[in-house]
Amino acid sequence: MPGQPTILNAAMSTSAPNGSAPLELRGVTKYFGEFKAVDDISFTLPAGCICGFLGPNGAGKTTTIRMILDIIKPSGGSISVLGRPSALEVRERIGYLPEEKGLYKKMKTWSVVAYFATLKGMSRSAAKLRAFELLERYGLKDFALKPTDALSKGMGQKVQVLASIAHDPEFVILDEPFSGLDPVNQQVMEDIIRDMAARKRTVLFSTHVMQHAERLCERILLIARGRKIFDGTVPEAKRIIPPRVQIETADDVAPLRELKEVQSVRALVPPGPGASAPARWELELHESADPQSILQFCFARGIRLHSFNQSEPTLHEVFMRLVGPEAKEAGFR
Amino acid sequence: MKYAGLVARREYLETIKTRGFWVGVFMFPLILFLSTSVPAWLAQKATPVRYYVLVDQSGGFAPVVESSLGKYQQKKELQALNDYARQYAAPVTNGPNPLAQFISADAQAVDKLNALGGRDYYLKQLQPRLKDKAPPFKEPARLYQPVPLPEDLQPDADVPSLARDLRPYLRGEKTLNFDGHAVSLTAAILIPSNIEQTIVRPNAKPAAWSAETNGIEYWAANLTESDLRDQVTQAVNDEVRRKEFLARGMDAAAFHDVEQTYVPVVSLNPKKEAGKETVKSGDVVLQWLPSAFVYLLWVSLFGISQMLLSNTIEEKSNRIIEVLLSSVTPGELMMGKLFGIAAVGLTMISAWMFSVFVVLSAKAGSAGEIAGQILPVLKTSHLLPMFALYFLLGYLMYGALILAIGSVCNTLKEAQSYMSSLTLLMMVPLMTMTYIPKDPNGTLARVLSWIPLFTPFTMMNRAMADPPWIDMVGTLILLIASAAVALWMAGKVFRTGILRTGQPPRIVEMIKWIRRAE
Repeated sequence: MPGQPTILNAAMSTSAPNGSAPLELRGVTKYFGEFKAVDDISFTLPAGCICGFLGPNGAGKTTTIRMILDIIKPSGGSISVLGRPSALEVRERIGYLPEEKGLYKKMKTWSVVAYFATLKGMSRSAAKLRAFELLERYGLKDFALKPTDALSKGMGQKVQVLASIAHDPEFVILDEPFSGLDPVNQQVMEDIIRDMAARKRTVLFSTHVMQHAERLCERILLIARGRKIFDGTVPEAKRIIPPRVQIETADDVAPLRELKEVQSVRALVPPGPGASAPARWELELHESADPQSILQFCFARGIRLHSFNQSEPTLHEVFMRLVGPEAKEAGFR
Repeated sequence: MKYAGLVARREYLETIKTRGFWVGVFMFPLILFLSTSVPAWLAQKATPVRYYVLVDQSGGFAPVVESSLGKYQQKKELQALNDYARQYAAPVTNGPNPLAQFISADAQAVDKLNALGGRDYYLKQLQPRLKDKAPPFKEPARLYQPVPLPEDLQPDADVPSLARDLRPYLRGEKTLNFDGHAVSLTAAILIPSNIEQTIVRPNAKPAAWSAETNGIEYWAANLTESDLRDQVTQAVNDEVRRKEFLARGMDAAAFHDVEQTYVPVVSLNPKKEAGKETVKSGDVVLQWLPSAFVYLLWVSLFGISQMLLSNTIEEKSNRIIEVLLSSVTPGELMMGKLFGIAAVGLTMISAWMFSVFVVLSAKAGSAGEIAGQILPVLKTSHLLPMFALYFLLGYLMYGALILAIGSVCNTLKEAQSYMSSLTLLMMVPLMTMTYIPKDPNGTLARVLSWIPLFTPFTMMNRAMADPPWIDMVGTLILLIASAAVALWMAGKVFRTGILRTGQPPRIVEMIKWIRRAE
């Protein structure tokens, strides 16, 4: 495992509108019997941002979220949510979509949404209005008066998301909000999250689909086997992977290996038998290296380039690099 | 508390929307109504006329049998007249009711009425009191109708051959022609000519007991319907005895008078106030009234326990529980469910009570009716408040157990194994229900009263027997304490169990959760 990057939060705003971070974990640990599900996680979530909570299956994401919500108690460490030691004290200001999603089958769709909103402190009349408004806005108007077992799985999940944010919470925790949604509704889900962030709400969502995290998140928290692996902004995460360039050339690339900026050279498409066909190479550079210097070097050495591509690492690659070996064996839970 | 209230409100509103609730609400009054009305209706409308042939070769018994069955019919008619009066006549307001003497509708009443002029006299007396829309009186259908022998049979043939020839009619293979209809024969009564010789006397050998003579032969395919046989037996034997008196030189008329002579025996209850100790027939019914409440208690507790269980498991199996727990604490959730379903139970019981009052009031026309005696007792006695108290406490205790079970099970099927032991326990009060009123302050009753799981049922059962105050107060305190402990333990199991998935835990494991400190 590469060395854990140290992330400084000092530069970022860590204060919620009321003066404290929406979420702060200090040395949080959870044992289930002998099994250490969460191991000494410390983390501060700045207000108003979208944070992806990533990790392979069984990493301890759901356990951590349950502890944040005070559904289960940590074995050690402390948690502060919106400045309070227990999320239940500020339950009106928190929204939560659990990983295991379900609805009361016989209840009408609007009344499920309204019920959860009243449990979050809304008055019954306001909750009812809000439920109809949300269902209409997200295309479920026709189902508002039907029992929820008339909904398809995707629709049911949308209703749950709406139920969890109906009271317009300032801090929302979504556990695997994208699972089970078709691409269209995944887009709707992304819009909901972006909309909340645009209104200065703080969103923490867990996923193991890196594309969603990459598109949405400003920050990520990555855990594996109960331990924090990474915590920081997305650009910071990407810097973990050294800069790379891809080139296409029919010429010999051996001189590039000698360069001090170059860590390694790898053939993506090896040279063909006739020397005329260009081969594709990937060059991994040292952290501080400037990819432009590679281009200048090639010109200077007469290496004729068919293409030069300076590609940014994806979050997927970061994920695979950081937790790939563990994720493979993570069958436990 | 606010959140528990919200949970309770949802539980209540959603449960009373279910079909099961309404079936429960209406099933009870329906059963009550049917069980009070249908047997009477069946007796009146659905009982077919029984046709019988009577062959009396001795010549001495046919008239007494006919007259006895006639009297039977008259009793029925008098009963119908009494019912008619109760239903369609206004009660007597001034002076004595001349018809009150017939209320018993027994043989004496029939004799008295016959002496005064029979049905016509009765109806004439009733006429001024009849309500405007009263339909004319309809005499009840004759239950036993004699029919003549089929034409091809000889009344003087010997009994065995008569019996042989009547068999096809009695089996329903052949029908008789009576009054223009083909009717099937229910019974044949064959009195042989030598009947005098078969009379059995004490201290004397039966004269002619042999294979050929059976005494009177009563032939019928339906053995359960013994009314006709009893009537015949009694009529014939009364006549035999009357003749025996004559034969021994005694005065049969005097004997008849002697037979009607008796000393009245009055039951008195020392617990009633002076001057009112006399036990009326209704008092016996009142002694059994608590049993009805026990049954009601059992049915309602059992019914809403099931609701509580399925509602708890629904939240677990539908994965709603987690999002709920981000809004309410497990304690609030548990209390909300408990009180929501309690409200459902109270609603159902109120509906039942209401229907009991409606049905009883509708039936409580005359003072002689049992309904008329139950109603004031229900209104004034401590039975209803006691029922409410024991319902609530019993519910809290059983509800706590159910919630604990529901919280650790993911499906109703898983819950069944726990529930079966609980159901078995709940069968105990149901089984002892009829024994306790017989000895309401006996050992069995007292022991069961002190077992909290059975306290509500047993104490309800003893309600009319003035149990010692130590039993009343002591068991109540014990019950309250046990319900509180059960709720506390259930809370611990609930908190741990409710988020659990997978196999339900063993009992030992649950005990560990209970013992674990916060």
